[in-house]
Amino acid sequence: MVARSIQVSAQVSNLAVIRHFVDERATDLKANRKAIEDMLQAVEEAVANIIFHGYRYRPGNIEVEVWNEDDMLLVRLRDQAPPFDPTTFPPPDLTFPLEQRRLGGLGIHLIRKFTDRMIHRMTSEGGNELTLVKKIK
Amino acid sequence: MEIRVSHQQGRVPVTVFHVKGEINTETHEQLQTQAEQVIQTGTRHLVLDLAEVPYVSSYGIRAISQIFTWLRDASPGESAETVSKGMRDGTFKSSHLKLVNPSHRVLAVLTTAGIDMFLEIHSDLEQAVASF
Repeated sequence: MVARSIQVSAQVSNLAVIRHFVDERATDLKANRKAIEDMLQAVEEAVANIIFHGYRYRPGNIEVEVWNEDDMLLVRLRDQAPPFDPTTFPPPDLTFPLEQRRLGGLGIHLIRKFTDRMIHRMTSEGGNELTLVKKIK
Repeated sequence: MEIRVSHQQGRVPVTVFHVKGEINTETHEQLQTQAEQVIQTGTRHLVLDLAEVPYVSSYGIRAISQIFTWLRDASPGESAETVSKGMRDGTFKSSHLKLVNPSHRVLAVLTTAGIDMFLEIHSDLEQAVASF
């Protein structure tokens, strides 16, 4: 039985570790393959945003928790980066060439596309908790 | 990620990047760097063969967009203003960079990111090379 959560340092090299963990847990929880791949797409985008825009390459940790509720797969990401609510980020204007768009907007846009819901709250330590929800049945 | 390079001749010389592996946060710079190198040595028409690419992240999209920008800047007559107007009008497609054979998943990412608004996406490599 795969553990429900892991904590890793916020480094690009740990993206693969996080994706592998989410993949294993979601498979254990009997999520269908498409839902898992959609969730993995969203998780990579969210974690990359934490590393590059949240911590801005400074040291920090990311906690990743995966569980299911009824027909939903949930992935929760916790960090201690400055507060940022991606749910309020406007969608990118796709008619602009990419170099003219705000940084990070495309990643959030992909998270919205590949999940059913994204929930943000600030933690009591002043960091972020982002929960990604995907219907799996 | 691995990139095998081939050179093909349509109406113009075309460089083809046969990409194998994910174009993600870790690997996208390798794609950019290799594209920059061939553009600096004279490539003006490039096809990205995505048949063996199972996954593209937003950083992969950024790399593709950067390659598009470099090729556009290396080609006189295609200003940023012209491109922006054409994208808004739905009339612009790059005549320097094309994509081939994305999987369903990669295609979903490309279209969500709006890449199909300015790059042609082909299902046949020969057709893509001949289309320049």
